[in-house]
Amino acid sequence: MLRSEWTKLRSIRSTPLTLTAAFAVAVLGGLFSATGRAKDYPSWSAVDKAAFDPVNLSFDGLAFAQLAFGVIGVLAISSEYTTGQIRTTFAVTPRRRQVLLGKACVLGAVALVCGELLSLVSFVVAQLGLRSIHVDVSLSDHAALRAVAGAGVYLTALTLLGLGLGALIRHTAGAVSAIFGLVFVVPLVAANLKDWITWPSNWNLWTAGNALISTRPPVDGAPSPSMGLVICVLYALVPLALAMVLIDRRDA
Amino acid sequence: MIEVHELSKRYRANQAVDGLSFTVQPGQVTAFIGPNGAGKSTTFRILLGLDRPNSGHALIDNKPYCELERPVLRVGALLDANAAHPGRSARNHLLCIAQAAEIDSKRVTAVLELTGLGEAGNRRVGGYSLGMRQRLGIAAALLGDPAVLLLDEPVNGLDPEGVRWIRRLLRQLADEGRTVFVSSHLMSELQLVADHLIVIGRGRLIADTPLSEFTAGGRSLEDAYLELTADATQYRTERTN
Repeated sequence: MLRSEWTKLRSIRSTPLTLTAAFAVAVLGGLFSATGRAKDYPSWSAVDKAAFDPVNLSFDGLAFAQLAFGVIGVLAISSEYTTGQIRTTFAVTPRRRQVLLGKACVLGAVALVCGELLSLVSFVVAQLGLRSIHVDVSLSDHAALRAVAGAGVYLTALTLLGLGLGALIRHTAGAVSAIFGLVFVVPLVAANLKDWITWPSNWNLWTAGNALISTRPPVDGAPSPSMGLVICVLYALVPLALAMVLIDRRDA
Repeated sequence: MIEVHELSKRYRANQAVDGLSFTVQPGQVTAFIGPNGAGKSTTFRILLGLDRPNSGHALIDNKPYCELERPVLRVGALLDANAAHPGRSARNHLLCIAQAAEIDSKRVTAVLELTGLGEAGNRRVGGYSLGMRQRLGIAAALLGDPAVLLLDEPVNGLDPEGVRWIRRLLRQLADEGRTVFVSSHLMSELQLVADHLIVIGRGRLIADTPLSEFTAGGRSLEDAYLELTADATQYRTERTN
């Protein structure tokens, strides 16, 4: 099952293409942020300088690269529904939960490896950009190491969220829109609601991801890194669990 | 052996299959015919466990498909030519099936050669003609060397060489003692290859008979079929003669 799902993932051109795009966007995004910041930094106030998080900055490109990971997760199953491949898949493996579980394992592993690699490269490149103003951080700083690892975990969570939504919605455009909404729209709306209710802004995916990749203490009741991890895991697993229940009940 | 008993399936307002019962015996080619919308493809999907019936059951070797051990080795199916991801090569498509079903990957090359896709095997399926996608679907059905074959309109889109090839293939598979269940709208083709007929219309059984009885008196299969299904045809063109 795992070998079959691995073959499926690697034999479609969109997988390497999307990952390459994610790498380019993430690394360049981090680098541009770093060089831009390095230019302004000398003119900042002492307060701004103290609040500056040179590690978090490495992941500025992640805001866009994360979509690519979500899309890979979505496509892994939605493309099967839209092309008709799913009927072949389910006829070969009538125990459909095994199919979904196999996809989750293979995608999770691929996303974790690529995500960690991507966050490491983004971090190293961005820190090179910050070297001129002597605020660059090395990986031996334990908070930096946690942030780099956390960025990879966040991308993995997003990939599995994509898979879960893809399996529930069964249409590529619909599931990608749902990801887009969760990652971009919900945090925006939540931020606007903050004066009335605070839980949406503390429990949304982007805040959780931010908690994972920051090295400054959380402000305004934002989640701690470990709470951020819990939220990310919930986002990854709840849609997947729901899909596990529904996949056997629906006609293919 | 295939056994369908009191099978019913409704999709919202559409009663696709309505109390359908029949059996398909091994060692012969059984043609599954009926007008558009008669419920043939629905029956195939239920037989393969893809859709759940509202009532009744569909069994292969006395078991629902979903309870068969390693079903690809028992049942080969061609549902429609588009049941493959267009971005994948034929070889990789078959490899995915072989790996999931734990079949030796040597079989992939063997069925590609058998269906005449040997040279095109590394090309992406999206670039294939309908006939080539049919060949790929047949290759996938034969991958597990199954004793039961379910082929939904396998002749569509094939070139004359392909039509003759599949006619001989069906004959050979039946002569080897396999259960061969084929749907088609090409009556002249079925007249050449079928041993037994199951005719349905509006989801119900209309006839279950040997071909020789159906066409007794020297009638063509097409004439006999059109006469029999006249009342069960839902989508009809204006008479032009």
